[in-house]
Amino acid sequence: MPKSLTIDPREARQRSLLRAPEIPVNAYLSDPGAEAERYDSAELVNIYHDMRLIREFELVLDGFKKAGSYRGIEYNHLGPAHLSIGQEAAAVGQCLHLGPEDYILGSHRSHGEILAKGLSAIRVLEDDCLLDIMENYMGGAALRVVEGIDDFSDIESLAQAYLIYGTYAEIFARATGFNRGMGGSMHTFFPPFGIMPNNAIVGGSADIALGMALFKRINRKPGIVVANIGDSSVASGPVWEAMNFAAMDQYHRLWDARLGGAPPMLFNFMNNFYGMGGQPQGETLGFGMLARVGLGVNAAAMHSERVDGYDPLAVADATRRKKEVLLAGQGPAMLDVITYRYSGHSPSDASSYRGRDEVEMWREQDSIRGFGAYLRANSHADNQTLEDINALIGEKITRIAAAATDLGTSPRLHVARDEIGAMMFSDGRADALDDREADVTQPMAESRFEVTSNKHRFGLDEGGKPLPKLKTLTYAEAIFEAMLHRFYQDPTMIAFGEENRDWGGAFGAYRGLTEAIPYHRLFNTPISEAAIVGAAVGYALAGGRAVPELMYCDFMGRAGDEIFNQMAKWQAMSANALRMPLVLRVSVGMKYGAQHSQDWSSLVAHIPGLKVYFPATAYDAKGMLNLALRGTDPVVFFESQRLYSQPETLFAGGVPVEYYEIEEGEPYLHRPGSDITIVTIGATLYRALEAAERLRREQGLSAEVIDARFLNPLNYEPIIQSVRKTGKVLLASDASERGSFLHTMASNISQLAFDFLDAPVAVLGARNWITPPAELDESFFPSADWMVDIIHERLLPLPGYQPRTRQGLAEIMTRNRAGV
Amino acid sequence: MPQAIVMPKLGNTVESAIILSWHVGVGDPVQMGEALCEIETDKATLEVESSASGILLARFFEAGDEVPVMQNIAVVGRAGESFDRLAPVPAAPAEHAAPRVSHDHSDEKPADKVLISPRARNLAGRKGIDYSETAGTGPAGRIIERDIRALIDRQVKMSPVAKAMLASGEYQIADKGPIDKRITKSDLAPSMPGASPELKAMPLTGVRKTIAKRMLESMQRTAQLTLNTSADASSLRGFRARLKSSDEALGLRGVTINDLLLFAVARTLPAFPELNALYENDRILQHARVHLGMAVDTPRGLLVPVIRGAESLSLRVLSCEANRLAAACRDGDVLPDELAGGSFTATNLGRLGIESFTPILNPPQVGILGIGSINLKPVERAGAVAHVPHIGLSLTVNHQVVDGAPAARFLAQLRKNIASIELLLAL
Repeated sequence: MPKSLTIDPREARQRSLLRAPEIPVNAYLSDPGAEAERYDSAELVNIYHDMRLIREFELVLDGFKKAGSYRGIEYNHLGPAHLSIGQEAAAVGQCLHLGPEDYILGSHRSHGEILAKGLSAIRVLEDDCLLDIMENYMGGAALRVVEGIDDFSDIESLAQAYLIYGTYAEIFARATGFNRGMGGSMHTFFPPFGIMPNNAIVGGSADIALGMALFKRINRKPGIVVANIGDSSVASGPVWEAMNFAAMDQYHRLWDARLGGAPPMLFNFMNNFYGMGGQPQGETLGFGMLARVGLGVNAAAMHSERVDGYDPLAVADATRRKKEVLLAGQGPAMLDVITYRYSGHSPSDASSYRGRDEVEMWREQDSIRGFGAYLRANSHADNQTLEDINALIGEKITRIAAAATDLGTSPRLHVARDEIGAMMFSDGRADALDDREADVTQPMAESRFEVTSNKHRFGLDEGGKPLPKLKTLTYAEAIFEAMLHRFYQDPTMIAFGEENRDWGGAFGAYRGLTEAIPYHRLFNTPISEAAIVGAAVGYALAGGRAVPELMYCDFMGRAGDEIFNQMAKWQAMSANALRMPLVLRVSVGMKYGAQHSQDWSSLVAHIPGLKVYFPATAYDAKGMLNLALRGTDPVVFFESQRLYSQPETLFAGGVPVEYYEIEEGEPYLHRPGSDITIVTIGATLYRALEAAERLRREQGLSAEVIDARFLNPLNYEPIIQSVRKTGKVLLASDASERGSFLHTMASNISQLAFDFLDAPVAVLGARNWITPPAELDESFFPSADWMVDIIHERLLPLPGYQPRTRQGLAEIMTRNRAGV
Repeated sequence: MPQAIVMPKLGNTVESAIILSWHVGVGDPVQMGEALCEIETDKATLEVESSASGILLARFFEAGDEVPVMQNIAVVGRAGESFDRLAPVPAAPAEHAAPRVSHDHSDEKPADKVLISPRARNLAGRKGIDYSETAGTGPAGRIIERDIRALIDRQVKMSPVAKAMLASGEYQIADKGPIDKRITKSDLAPSMPGASPELKAMPLTGVRKTIAKRMLESMQRTAQLTLNTSADASSLRGFRARLKSSDEALGLRGVTINDLLLFAVARTLPAFPELNALYENDRILQHARVHLGMAVDTPRGLLVPVIRGAESLSLRVLSCEANRLAAACRDGDVLPDELAGGSFTATNLGRLGIESFTPILNPPQVGILGIGSINLKPVERAGAVAHVPHIGLSLTVNHQVVDGAPAARFLAQLRKNIASIELLLAL
């Protein structure tokens, strides 16, 4: 909360009434005369063409799924096919006023939207631009195939065939598909036409779309962003969070007015009245009419209205008007576009939840037939023209589908060559993702860097005594320096989260950034962890660098889908068409009990597609954050609240003032030894060093201590080298032991160094309990005592040693049997 | 919550203890601090006290069971409470039907398998170290690296050059006092000129190989104690002379001094079951019958055929059987079964003029009697020195399981029986 905004009790306690705007419902009135003035006949006929093409496109898929063939093409499609037969007008009408610079993001049922957006972009883009896109996208793989299908008389029809082919090939999992088959039916997308990720998680596109809208606003890029999500998704947390995040007052009250206001974000609900089988309107929700939900979000009610999605011109009109509002910075906007699918949710849908007569009633109002009649009635086209269009589409679609199903022309990826593995990370390095000047509010030399750079950079004096903490650079300040550096380097970089501005983050790591960085690059968000991460995902996919923060690791659960399914997946699902320069800072808590003290690094390390860093010293904090902030991959960056106030005490040179990076995936050997190896993750490093010192003093043993620093990627070489030397290894971290990443390490070490092991690898984590209150910390987290005890019990019996705790092998059995 | 009572860890080196007796029965009330059972370690006998008050719900082990330390041995709680999760995990089917008798897997040593870490095994392999007799100092007695290092340190080390020189056969270790650390080139001297052609290298095969292995094992695995004495051989000789001159039809002329001694041993042993016994797998197996092994010198090496049930054979039958087995051994047609299953062995070097020696045990047997030559021994009789023929007796026992006194008592009885061999025949 900035001090410039005062909460006045007199105002807060004032008696009054809230007045809300009215919500228009199907307000559009068809006026053929006015419509003929707005659109010429060719444009109107194109609407018919596009709707017919989408219908035909999906009938092919319907045939493949249900009968294994369509018009003589035999094909067994293994993957999903969520069809939108009946919803074509909503998709085509929306794109009538969208340009290639406008983005749409969809759902699992978005084939129609993809085609409509692509067809509309193709009509707008110049021939050489189209050719350029087709030649260069994925090395022109899809173009090569399409050129073999026919001799195209013009670039537009070539590009249309390219769009259809690229989408089919993607659905059929071919290397020539738009995303090399890695996206498939539910995720197909094509960024050059503004077709952005379609999301198979219900509502998943809402917060990602918001992030893209933020990118456009903050980086002054043209266009709006549309999230095409289903009616039932409005009840999912991330959608609600995204709508509120999109409606924050600060865009108008605190951000630089020259940016133009709120992010240009349209929540476009494709309301087909069913969430798979449940009915949001009437059964599973209580809004009565979806458009009402806008009333709950802001004073403008999100400019919400219900639109007749069976009339493409009504949809076009509404989208055009919302686009104007959004470009004027008055977003977010919301449309409740009613439509209906005749096809089932998926091929396995037996329609047990709806009557045949209901489907028939909608079929009678079919938008394609209806719009054909409109064209004929208003002399935009005669019957023959429409028949010709139908025939041409049928023939074209059939030939393209045949090419897309043929394994000779459309092969799958070479999985044996690990082509999928090669797509998991982009492994790029970029100082800046745009070359303009970065927006800052003071020169770096005047920022708090002036203070931190003059502090002691190493925490101990020559005699090894600690220097005064306030005069020594801390772990939190090391984070600050890395952030500050990249803020000045990369104009696209933004950071946001709860209490990031003013407060400087709950633990003060951003102290000094508020003064240096303007609002639109560093801002507070609602307490909406899902939208915080989701918006960052969208921002990164759109081309910017995002640094969201989760105040406590424990809050990751609130952003589970965004971390596990969005942040981790989109690089590979796009076949690297998009990058994910996103660093999610996560703070591992302490002393705050069961819901604020957990180390969940193992959870994210388990998910393919994420890089996981966990620095344990100030030197590593700055060097590793520098590394993460110059990369192009999603990194979950763990920090420990035990360490924020700690100066560097291990790297003898201290923390350099100048920029440096730690080599990715490289563990660091802090203390050489020959008798036993201790590998740690996170803050257990210090307890391991203490244990090593005790082993030396009390047992004359020499322990080697290695900080893994990285969970993924991780170079095992130095660890294996050490284990080959010592034969005994203890792994330790503050994460609960069961399912800990340490067990993955243990298994790998056992396999890589089996013949060198003198004892099984010992794993020491926190207990498999809730984190107890701070007063009982010692019973829960690994200590130096535990480490020596476990070494004595499992690795190397120490003469004359009396263990203080039970760490024997029998404990493994007993604890597991009890489930704790 | 029911509470487990664990076998206490009674010291750093104590890995298990034996339950001697239970003081409290299942279902009986017990107070915290009350003695539940008496246990014995290799060092002491003491009591396990209950760490909880309540009803003794279960005893997981019986008296006599050896239980690893820190293992749950009993449960105290409220009547009717479930305690399944506290029971030790069952291992192989238990011999007696005690409730869930088990062993802690972590301490369980696979039968006949040395517990050794991969690293230690690797090191031993590279250095050619035999660790089979080594006690590990790792967790659960596992042999770990430091144990192999200790073995290596005990070995006399040799430089690679010295090794190659020795292997050539042209050099030998020079006789110039003890070598403390490492044998190098300077510790070697040329072998006697022309010595090597006289050397005949013979690989160990067959019986010799087995003997080599078994003799070494015997010395390594048992604690051998040899007691020497002699017995008055006057009547032995006299009786032997009578047999020799007996009616041929009686078939007793072939009975030798050795046969008479075997007879004496066979008839004496039943009264000393601790000597007529086997020791293996931490158990002593006492034999009711005497299966008497007799060492036979053959061209292939030493063989020990067994006279079954020797204590019940007449002298004549025993002599015939000894004769038959010795011949079979020399002719090489002895059956494998005739060479196995002995409970005690006698070996005779007396015919070769050896007065006494230290016979090597034939494990798992715990006793072997060496028979020496007959020599005159000055004996005081009625104030004067008389020279009486005495036969040498050397008894080696496994001191692990046979103490010196019982062994001496057996020898005393044997001496008496030999001295009055006719009386023994009359029994």
